[in-house]
Amino acid sequence: MEKKCPDYISNLNDYLDGGVTPELCAEIEAHVGQCKNCQIMVDTLKQTVRLCREGRPEALSPALEAKLAGLLKQHWDKKFGKK
Amino acid sequence: MKLVDAHKDKVFGMVRRLSGNNQDAEDIMQDTLVKAIDKIDQFRGDASFGTWLYTIALNITRGQFARKKQTELKPIEEYLPGATADGNHSGDEFALFDWKDPHTVLEAGRLRDIIDKATNELPFKYREVFLLRYVEELSVKEIARLTKQTEASAKSRILRARLAMRDMLATTFEAEYGKKVS
Repeated sequence: MEKKCPDYISNLNDYLDGGVTPELCAEIEAHVGQCKNCQIMVDTLKQTVRLCREGRPEALSPALEAKLAGLLKQHWDKKFGKK
Repeated sequence: MKLVDAHKDKVFGMVRRLSGNNQDAEDIMQDTLVKAIDKIDQFRGDASFGTWLYTIALNITRGQFARKKQTELKPIEEYLPGATADGNHSGDEFALFDWKDPHTVLEAGRLRDIIDKATNELPFKYREVFLLRYVEELSVKEIARLTKQTEASAKSRILRARLAMRDMLATTFEAEYGKKVS
């Protein structure tokens, strides 16, 4: 029986992340090539990850860095004693 | 101390993304350092110090968010538009929105806000696997180990999280600029 869109959806991540067999990959590509919605689904799933990777760099603020350094030293001294 | 310095930015980045706000991230970082010192004699060196610290931070983050009520996502098949009689979803009335390249339509700051909002709206158990897989770039095997589930379960959860993220972004982009590109 010919596979339909819902039959492919559970394999999409493996397909996009390079984890399907060459046979299944060819099968999915043949389906996507003739199904506009699946083409959009594949393109936008790729973009979803790409957009999320473009996030702002999450660096420690100087104030938090100083606070953590103080906490670390205080806790270290408490556990191991001042040297 | 130098060991902590070498890894703190990476650990903070992960905690900030998972928690979704600065206040929780700061509290978790403090708890992480205190716990790391308390447990330093348990560090065996079979993982790198960075991985060990990262795992402590992740466990504290998970502990904090696991207590909150988790909503469920819909089943995988429901992320496809309504199926037509032939089992496909090719009818025009069920056309998915093709959002093209949002960078060409939205300002960078607005786009970032949309992505952050969608990420924070994912229930935590989905947000963590999505971010660990696609932003932290951990393997499915490693995610399964860290989140204490089977690889099959982690894999399925990652797919649902990605479909849900796509869905939320599509809805927002369509509302923001659907008419301009359709």
